[in-house]
Parts: sequence; C-alpha cells; structure tokens
Amino acid sequence: MNFLRHLLEKLPARPAHAHCDVPCGVYEPDSMTWAAETCFKLTEKLEGLELPEAGNKHDVLDFHNIVARAVAVKEEYAQICKAQVLILWTDYFKPEHLDRWPDLHDKVWKITKQCSTVKRTVSVAEAKKLQEMVAELADIFRETKK
Amino acid sequence: MHFPFALYRVEGHSMEPTLRPNQRLLVKRGSKARPGDLIVFKKNAKTCVKRITEQRGDQFMVCGDHPESTDSRHYGGVHGEQILGRVLCGL
Repeated sequence: MNFLRHLLEKLPARPAHAHCDVPCGVYEPDSMTWAAETCFKLTEKLEGLELPEAGNKHDVLDFHNIVARAVAVKEEYAQICKAQVLILWTDYFKPEHLDRWPDLHDKVWKITKQCSTVKRTVSVAEAKKLQEMVAELADIFRETKK
Repeated sequence: MHFPFALYRVEGHSMEPTLRPNQRLLVKRGSKARPGDLIVFKKNAKTCVKRITEQRGDQFMVCGDHPESTDSRHYGGVHGEQILGRVLCGL
C-alpha cells in the first residue's frame, strides 16, 4: 500500500482548481434564468389549480398541501434569482459595462424589485415579466462576452 | 482506450479542510456521481474540484467545503457530461 501511495505521488497530476472567493471570471447567466423560469412554472401551476369540493377533507388537504409547497418553492427560487442577479451586478459587471449600458443599475434594481413582486403575488403576468427582465440582463451579459 | 483512473492536484483553498492545496487526488473516470460526492469537472474551460450538494434535473449543484468558495452559487450547475470523474481519495 505504501509502495502504491509512493508511486502515485511520483506520477504527474493535472491541476484541479478549488477557487476561493476571489474574482476568478467564472460567471454565467443560466442560474438566474432557470430560477425565474421555476417561479413562472410554479405560478402557472398555482393559477391553474381547481378549487376542491367543499366538505371533502382529503381534497381540501391536498389542495392546501400543493399550494403550500408551490408557494414555498416560488419564494425560494425568487430569492435565488435575486441573489444570482446581485452576484452578476456586484462581482461581474465593470465600469466599462456601465458605459455601454448606462441604465444597468436601474435594470438590476428593477429586476430585484420584480423578484419581490413575484414572491408577494401569484400572477403569471408578473412572473412572465420577471423572466423577460432576466432574459434581457442575460443578453447584456452575453454581449459583454463577445 | 481511457485509463479508468486519473491523478489531479488541488489548486486553491475552497475545499479546505477536506482537501488541502497541492494535495493529490485519485479520481475514477466516468463513475456515477451523487450528492455528497467530490467531483472533478470542466466549467468554463477550467478543471475544478467541488462537492455535489444536489441534483436538479440533468444538472449538479456544486459547492466548496470552505465558506469562501466560488461555486454553483456563482456559476450555476454542472452538466453530467462536464464531470470528469469522482474523487476516490486524497493522497
């Protein structure tokens, strides 16, 4: 066993990065996009729910269970979306990006506000609006990479 | 034919205390990964080592063991095809 360990320590090894929280240039817009999409799907599910028959305990419990779970996940993913947008804003975007998109701060501010709106409401229109706003920011991100 | 094992060397501190910088890793190529596993993967042309925290569809969320880590919270999930292998042990 010691011989094997000794041998493995002598063989060449490729680097595997374990990044610390330093600017490493590894950023992407997918996380905020799928988080916004999750919010949209859950809102759609909530709006599409049929009311249970009054007096049917099992159906009423099922209904409340589905609503509680969908609302909890919508809340969680709206928060993830907000966090991902803020990571790009605080860690990725640079002053030269602001020169090109002077309303970037305003866009980010409005998207994070929209995340809160999606939490507060059950509205497909509001969730769709968040998706569109996030898609616009993702387009800006991709433009910066060209 | 690929040799089923590969050797990697840790660069950085984000996997401390589990993995130390410069520590060598014995990695099993192409093995199935699950939440909790340490994996070596390609992300944005870099080879990284992190721990899988959860699976969301066809993506794996990864996180460093150290609180100061850059991971899925910053760069999103890792697709199955980006995984190079599972860490069997540190040397």
